[in-house]
Amino acid sequence: MIESLLTHTLNGLYYGLILFMIASGLTIIFGVLGILNLAHGELYALGAFLVVTVVGFLAGFVAEPTGPLSALVFGVVVLLGSLLAAAVLLPVGAVIESVFVRPIYEREDVYQLLLTYALLLILVDVMKFLWGTSPVSTSSYSRLNEIPTTELVGFSYPSYNVIVILVGVVVFAWLIWFFDRTKTGRIVRATAINREMSTAIGVSTDRTFTLVFAMGAFFAAFGGAMNSIGPSDAYLEMGLDPLVLSFVVVVIGGLGSLKGAFVAALLVGVISRWTVGVFSLPQLELAAPFILMAIILLVKPEGLYGTWGEIE
Amino acid sequence: MTRVSRNGVLAVLAIVLLLAVPDIANVTPLSFSIIHQGILFGMAAMGLNLLLRHTELVSFGHTAFFGAGAYGVAVLTAHYEVSNGLLLLLGAALAATAIALLVGYLVAGYLDIYFALLTLAFNQVLFAFVLQSGFFNYNDGLRVRVGADRPSLLGIDRWLVSTFGADPIVAYDYVLYYLTVVVLLVMVAVTWKIVNSPFGRALDAIGQDRTRARFIGIPVDRYVWIAFTLSGLYGGIAGGLFALLQLHVRPEPVLFVFVSGEILFMAIIGGIGTIVGPIVGGIVLIYLLRLARFYFEYYHALTGLVLLVVVFFLPEGILGSLPTFRAGLERRLRDPTLVRGDAATVSTTIRQRLYRAATTVRILVFGVK
Repeated sequence: MIESLLTHTLNGLYYGLILFMIASGLTIIFGVLGILNLAHGELYALGAFLVVTVVGFLAGFVAEPTGPLSALVFGVVVLLGSLLAAAVLLPVGAVIESVFVRPIYEREDVYQLLLTYALLLILVDVMKFLWGTSPVSTSSYSRLNEIPTTELVGFSYPSYNVIVILVGVVVFAWLIWFFDRTKTGRIVRATAINREMSTAIGVSTDRTFTLVFAMGAFFAAFGGAMNSIGPSDAYLEMGLDPLVLSFVVVVIGGLGSLKGAFVAALLVGVISRWTVGVFSLPQLELAAPFILMAIILLVKPEGLYGTWGEIE
Repeated sequence: MTRVSRNGVLAVLAIVLLLAVPDIANVTPLSFSIIHQGILFGMAAMGLNLLLRHTELVSFGHTAFFGAGAYGVAVLTAHYEVSNGLLLLLGAALAATAIALLVGYLVAGYLDIYFALLTLAFNQVLFAFVLQSGFFNYNDGLRVRVGADRPSLLGIDRWLVSTFGADPIVAYDYVLYYLTVVVLLVMVAVTWKIVNSPFGRALDAIGQDRTRARFIGIPVDRYVWIAFTLSGLYGGIAGGLFALLQLHVRPEPVLFVFVSGEILFMAIIGGIGTIVGPIVGGIVLIYLLRLARFYFEYYHALTGLVLLVVVFFLPEGILGSLPTFRAGLERRLRDPTLVRGDAATVSTTIRQRLYRAATTVRILVFGVK
């Protein structure tokens, strides 16, 4: 009983942290640029497809894992591969921002939605062109699971999920560190809080915006990479659900708050796994995140935490 | 020609065009059913536009009402064996209004993105509920038929069949289409009336500044609620007609959140500043999304490019940009030298864009000094 509760909680954390990686990208883009990026789900999907290619290429260089140590080496290679795949999205994000998004900051919100929707459609076909219509997979999931976890969590559990949970926590910590301690991070926050003032003290908002969009794209792609190394394939329609769910996460957490997004992602992840596993209400799985969001917004219209800039 | 009479001529032209659609579709490769669907989704977009244009609230959950209307019809035929088209539409309108009243009451106080995402949440809850309920027959949906019969449309289609020996299917489609046209014309008239009433002006005031609207004595939340319900009613009627057209209602085409997005984008493509723009947007987008796939493999990208063109070159939407376009054209006809100036503007813009793209790439590769 307890073990099953633990398993479902861990599954929820795993799911929640993948959601967090996507939602963090959406959050920083929305927090700084004020753009609700509908193409974000496709950036996630692009990361998933890229990782299949990159990891498939890299995994050819390392031997099949036989024992714990070689499995660990394999794991490191796969992780590096997904970082590399996500890094491809840095220039892609920068180009999207500077070519398409920059001319429409001053327009009404609905046009920004329309533009990002257009980008979503175009990205779908770019992926269709590059990888075809059938799902693809890295098939490194089972090999990653040869890293033993029984010692780590005390019972048998897929070690891949544990890796993702650790990676997710590291991503969160890095983001907090970046925005709180580094100069670039502080500049970004200053731009988010007061655009005019930061321009006045010599910050190039254009460059900051490009950087932020590229970062957002990177984290979306990294989430996608993490997801498609796992048991699930990369397929063309995969961007839709995470996009909608990361909206939910961002709104529950409070618009643009990183900490809020973290807490909300874990809440959504754990609750949606609990509805199936613990409360055995599979018919509520689809609706659970939305019911949670509706309740939280009706009770606390600003979301759980404050808005961007003030990280705390 | 004075402005009023010109608009009158345009309106008559539009109505004639609308009435002639089945014949136009017959002699050209245009698809009758797709245009019909486009008009129906456009109706829902027109309802949404009532909210978008005047109160500046973006609803992401408008398929909830479209779907409620469609399922209203489907449930009445499948479970209660109602076959009178008028009663079915009444059922659709009632179902959509009930849901719009409830959702509207809960969301009326919210703004911006919170409003958008709350409506999305209710939409998704409804979708999940229908998808998992046996009453609505899960993912397979419900047939809009009583026994093997199609619903009757005021008896006109039956009358056509019995007196003129018309093909029942053709008669049904034509009668339904002209019924749609009548409903559409009534809707346009009603919208025009609403927009130019004190209520419409009050909505405008709310859209411009809520606090100010409240200070001059407008009951903001209640008005938003009423506008929301009205727009839900439009969506419901459109959904009901859609069910009569498709004769089968499944959750995904009528309730999925991305259809909400499509309805929203139809309004923007057509032009949110106009009354009938959303109908044009509806036909265009439905064509691109439903039919282009048979001719062109990368139809998503094609749709995306069309939307990019709308965003960058038609800032007021297709119909909304027409006056500006016409004015510009007339000026150029009178003074052809202006064209040279246009060419210069275009080439400088392209040069500037290229330069900026190159700068971005340079910064990405070499960093900033």
